[in-house]
Amino acid sequence: MIVNTNIKIQTHSLCFYYYKQKVLRDISLQLPANKITAITGPSGSGKSTLLMAFNRLWEEIEGCKISGNVFMNLNGQNTNIYAPALPVLELRRKVGMVFQQPNPLPMSISKNIAFPLRLAHISNKNLISDSVEASLRKVSLWEEVKDRLNDDARLLSGGQQQRLCLARALVLSPEVLLLDEPTSSLDPEASAAIEELLLSLKTKCTLVMVSHYQDQIQRIADRHVKVLNGQCSINHRQA
Amino acid sequence: MLRSYSLSEYTFLTAAVFSGMLTAAVFCFLFYFGLPLLQSGQLADLLFSSWSPGKGLYGIYPMLLSSLTLASLSMLISFPVSIGCSFIITALAPIRLRRVLLAMIRVMTGIPTVVYSFAALFFLVPLMRNLIGHGSGMSILTAAPVLALVIAPTMILFFVNSFNKVSPRFTLAAEALGCTKIQKILYVILPQAWPGVINGVLLGFGRAMGDTMVSLMLAGNSTAVPEAVTDSARTLTAHIALVLAFDFDSMEFKSIFVCGLCLYLLTASLMLLFRLSTAYFSKGR
Repeated sequence: MIVNTNIKIQTHSLCFYYYKQKVLRDISLQLPANKITAITGPSGSGKSTLLMAFNRLWEEIEGCKISGNVFMNLNGQNTNIYAPALPVLELRRKVGMVFQQPNPLPMSISKNIAFPLRLAHISNKNLISDSVEASLRKVSLWEEVKDRLNDDARLLSGGQQQRLCLARALVLSPEVLLLDEPTSSLDPEASAAIEELLLSLKTKCTLVMVSHYQDQIQRIADRHVKVLNGQCSINHRQA
Repeated sequence: MLRSYSLSEYTFLTAAVFSGMLTAAVFCFLFYFGLPLLQSGQLADLLFSSWSPGKGLYGIYPMLLSSLTLASLSMLISFPVSIGCSFIITALAPIRLRRVLLAMIRVMTGIPTVVYSFAALFFLVPLMRNLIGHGSGMSILTAAPVLALVIAPTMILFFVNSFNKVSPRFTLAAEALGCTKIQKILYVILPQAWPGVINGVLLGFGRAMGDTMVSLMLAGNSTAVPEAVTDSARTLTAHIALVLAFDFDSMEFKSIFVCGLCLYLLTASLMLLFRLSTAYFSKGR
């Protein structure tokens, strides 16, 4: 296998089945590191499924099955993410995800951000509060919420909630960030704020984003993958 | 315009009203027949004295105590088992096994309690006789695990139901952040579903108080006040079943109306608590 450090994610003949239906067919892709790759396609074409193949989240859903390989350059090593030797929890800490609907957990703002740290058994309080602040600053939410960190996160506006979810996904410094239509439930202003954030994250992360908006893809994506009937085609965009 | 009811609507309405009235009628029936005893100023005697018809004592204190002890003890056994089972069914087991387990639990709810008791009579009673070292082997401690088994499916189904109601938005969010299955249960599912857990416990306790066969066949039916869980004891339900054999005019027979009333009120207040807590928690979110 050719190991190219500019390639972050590679799939080899990836097929995905939901019960007997073949959702993804023979997908072989190479996604570049530190770029934003947009995935588009009609509803039900398997875009979100493709994302879930990258953090193995489909394993939590009944009736899903996969064949083929996904390799990811993690910690500087080309890793088969479906290898039994790689614990799925470790993978998900390296590969963050933001969903279409903002999904803050039913707890306070600070606890939401600290949640991944708690899951990773980090108990140093100073470290936690520093990380919470740093993450909230990254998504420019700190100034808006610093006085009400103990309020229920579900009281925030939709745009704020989505930025909170982004901050939560960033708190463990993931190498890859998966975004499933992150702006589709937001107003244009909130969307613009998220887009700007995504651009600023490129230096630290590789971003893979499902999007429905052609103009959004034009604005921020470096590469464009179209999914149609479970198969992919790639458009290289000139930046 | 006046809304007109169709024939089927009337039929269902009648059925619903009839069932509701029936519940109230049972209460009135018990109250009416228990009234002479209640009026004679013997209520305190009935509730707090022992059962000794030969001496003119018709107290139900031993049965009340036995019922509460047996129900609490079986709850103590059943709760951890039930909550553990529901964790396995909702999150811990492989997805296919979850369905099989759930189907088995559903089947368990349908098995008559007399079958459990009958099996226990052959397997558990001799074992307890040897373990306790005296008596017939029938005791509160013998009945408790069997009763625990009887109420477990009700509680498990209730718990599973409330765990499954937790939005997948929350569970998927937590899973995407790298939580283990146990962490998902402890940090995401339980904080959301605990009102359902409380309701399941109330419901299970109500079933434990109301069950007759298990205690009748396994607890020994002694009318003495039980001093230890290894003692033979008679619950309120078993008492009613046993005293039914007496002459209708006898004082023994009359006293069981008070038993029935006690059981009715205990179970009804549990159900009321259940309703109130459901209403309270559903308003809170």
